[in-house]
Amino acid sequence: MTAANAILLALVISAAGALITLLFSKNKAVAGWISFFITALSGLLAIYAAATVLLSGPGEAVTILSLPAAGSAFRIYVDGLSAIFLGLIATIAILSAFFSISYMEHYKEYGVARYYPYFLLFVAGMYGIVTVTDMMVFFFIFWQLMTLSSYALVRYEYKKRGNVRAANKYLLMMQIACLLIMAASGMLAESSATIGTETVQQYDFDAIRHGLPGLLQSSSGLVTIAFLLYLVGFGIKAGMWPFGQMWLPDAHPAAPSPVSSLLSGVMIKTGVYGLMRSFLWLIPENALPYYPNRGWGLIIAVIGTITLFIGTMQALKQEQSKRLLAFHSIGQVGYILLGLGACIALISTGWRNEAVMGLAAIAFYGAIFHTINHGTFKSLLFLNAGSMLYATDTQDLNKLGGLIKYMPVTAVMTLIASFSIAGVPLFNGFASKWSIYVATILGSSTAPYLGVCALFAILTSVITLASFMKFFGVSFLSRTSALVAQKASRKPLLEVNWMMQFPQLILAALCLVFGIIPIGAYQLIEQALDSSQQGLAAGLAKMPLANLDGVVGIASTGGTALFDPLVLIIVLGIMFLAAMVISRLGGAQKRVDEPWLCGYAQDGEQHRYGAHHLYSGIKRYFRWIGGKPGTHL
Amino acid sequence: MEPQAGLLIIYGITNVALVLFTAPFFEGVLRKVTAQVQSRKGPPVLQPYFDLLKLLGKEDIEVGENPTMQRFAAYLSLAAILTVATLVPMGTGIPMNRAGDTILLIYLLTLCGIATLFAGMAAGSLYSLVGMSREMMAMMTLEPLLAAGLVIASIHAGSLRLDAVMNGAIYGTGAFPLSGLMMLGVLLFSLQGFVGRLPFDITEAETEIMEGPLMEYSGPKLALFKYLQMAKLVVYSAIFIALFAPWGNTLFFPLNLGIFLIKVLVLVLLVTLVAAIHPRYRIDQAIRYFAGMFIISVVALIFAVCGL
Repeated sequence: MTAANAILLALVISAAGALITLLFSKNKAVAGWISFFITALSGLLAIYAAATVLLSGPGEAVTILSLPAAGSAFRIYVDGLSAIFLGLIATIAILSAFFSISYMEHYKEYGVARYYPYFLLFVAGMYGIVTVTDMMVFFFIFWQLMTLSSYALVRYEYKKRGNVRAANKYLLMMQIACLLIMAASGMLAESSATIGTETVQQYDFDAIRHGLPGLLQSSSGLVTIAFLLYLVGFGIKAGMWPFGQMWLPDAHPAAPSPVSSLLSGVMIKTGVYGLMRSFLWLIPENALPYYPNRGWGLIIAVIGTITLFIGTMQALKQEQSKRLLAFHSIGQVGYILLGLGACIALISTGWRNEAVMGLAAIAFYGAIFHTINHGTFKSLLFLNAGSMLYATDTQDLNKLGGLIKYMPVTAVMTLIASFSIAGVPLFNGFASKWSIYVATILGSSTAPYLGVCALFAILTSVITLASFMKFFGVSFLSRTSALVAQKASRKPLLEVNWMMQFPQLILAALCLVFGIIPIGAYQLIEQALDSSQQGLAAGLAKMPLANLDGVVGIASTGGTALFDPLVLIIVLGIMFLAAMVISRLGGAQKRVDEPWLCGYAQDGEQHRYGAHHLYSGIKRYFRWIGGKPGTHL
Repeated sequence: MEPQAGLLIIYGITNVALVLFTAPFFEGVLRKVTAQVQSRKGPPVLQPYFDLLKLLGKEDIEVGENPTMQRFAAYLSLAAILTVATLVPMGTGIPMNRAGDTILLIYLLTLCGIATLFAGMAAGSLYSLVGMSREMMAMMTLEPLLAAGLVIASIHAGSLRLDAVMNGAIYGTGAFPLSGLMMLGVLLFSLQGFVGRLPFDITEAETEIMEGPLMEYSGPKLALFKYLQMAKLVVYSAIFIALFAPWGNTLFFPLNLGIFLIKVLVLVLLVTLVAAIHPRYRIDQAIRYFAGMFIISVVALIFAVCGL
């Protein structure tokens, strides 16, 4: 079975599954299991397709339906870039489908007939959007499939007016994005083209790519406008500033948690996919002299920097768990855009210069590695927040406290995810941020503004740490809150069941594996680049991974930067042991006692120091930046 | 030429031992000189050694909300600063030169802060959370300054490798190293903040929030945090020296080590004098102060990318 056929089969299975789950939707558990098996089946097919492409290169494109009158064809083509996104979508979808089975039981008022069928269609829409080559009719169909089904999922709790409003806003923004992208494709498309032995329709990706060098020379203004439309259109989807703020922080918390994790972990990545496709894959190598990528790199890197700073600063103010995570999605997409922008900017000047080209490659590695990492840790965080919501019925961080005693497993998972997103070394977020910093700092000799972008990215990384210290600290550590004490008095262990823990364990393991063995991810991405021989990606693929003698970790070309997690683990471990030994030298006795509360009788709820109070010194200098802490639930 | 692995391990052990054995001495000097400045007699210079030994033997009372996390935080505090010590040249070579670069150094320094944050949150009391919040705010304003210094040095060096950067690279090759001199000013004026001494000891602020995050610690685990504070004196001085005054590292052993220790002593004396004559700032004053420094360092960075 070829990769394209596997994807087609996955789409058919998902569509059929949507009908089957609708039939069985009376029984939540049965519908949940059926939906899980269907997601798993289609997901495994997608992973199979991805693996085939990564191992043996892209196969032939498969055309299922041709509409010459509309200039479109339903043509599926899986290359390396698609493979990375397919793998990510499938992994997160399978895990969140499994999480849903138990999680959906706590919705007493709402049935699952409006959940599982849409869930399956939503995932199918995403598979379609990253594999279909048509950029008009079938792009529209898959975009709408993805948008409408996720719209239904966002307004799942339709009795809450806020959720319906959030969903409507989301729908409106996605339709605008769809319109902009199709308008851009319409401007670029000229005529059908014959590539090799195959004739592709007018609006096909390959036809546009084929005609682009000529178009760049004859009417460069038109191409610039079209690319601007792509940037805004896909930027709206990805959550780019200022468009992300218009829908994302409302839509993500409104959806049920497993869907939030899909929205934030993978759906917004289809925007990133679109940007990579249009700004790198669409440009043939021979069109490079006419393509103003220096300018595009500047625009995308600067917008990325603004996005990451503003998104994260707004996140710092949030007091609702899922809303906080949603704002961080904007911030993390900023890092991806910065990496992508740096890559585009460095390609242009350094096509023949190996050192600069190596930096462009490492910027791209960083961008796509961060896409994968954000997919894993943000999905994990939404599942963590979902578990907390399940156990305590609240998203309000001010009402939480001391959960670690009652939910130890969730606490450890949340800690791993928080460390990952904050970029603590040995967790996956660090490895991808490292790649982006290397490219931007060293690339500043070619594109000077990148050095300043890098400093703001490092600053933002500390703000992210602050935000997640708050997220983890006020909910799991700190004093037990009245609400948690009351919940715990009814049920001694608030921990969610194994079916909700298991997906979190897998995701946490992925965070650690990619953090400790980043070279594995690098090789995966290299493989993906090797299997996508279109446009500028082909040039990036020519850059070999740098190998330094005796360094097992990752390094830049020429060895100007390196990071070896294995040595770090050993050294940190030895130092940790040394600290333990030192603390035991005196043979001190241990005793557990009550805290001394400065003479006051007790530490009441009104004395607790909650999420609202943390970092007030910083927060008040950033009122102008917006992002009011909203209230959900 | 890259040194052999065996030599790197010896460098590593030297650095760690240097931090562990000399840090209390510098703390002792700091206390003694502070006392002299303030017309007091002051404790003997060796007093911090006795303090640590005493604390290690004292009863370890666990009173926080989550003892496991508190233990983890205490061990992490010393482990993180000792790991940082292996990334910084201290008279001899850089032990972890082949395992990490400047970016890792920046991020490992936050790990020391994370230990204090965990200490505060796991204790869970009001004062410790106030202290934790302050520590985080201080980190948010301080870390970008050091990052700016290291980024500028990396841009001048054209490399992120520690041996290339921690070698006075911040001055670049220009005749008048404007960005380097600006960063020298910025980091000199924020050194108190990095080592957590007056006027920026806002996190602990004994007389105000009773040592904040460390409030619920006692005995050996308190000793580890005290050790962290002393070790910061040496480690941050070493980073400062490597960036701005690396001369003398190429001399033969033990002269290079001796020169290094003298340079640390000079910096400690500087920190002491500033600390002895300044009252503590409030956190909002500190944030404004460091925000001003940040603006200067962004300007310095812009100069640096323009080749100045």
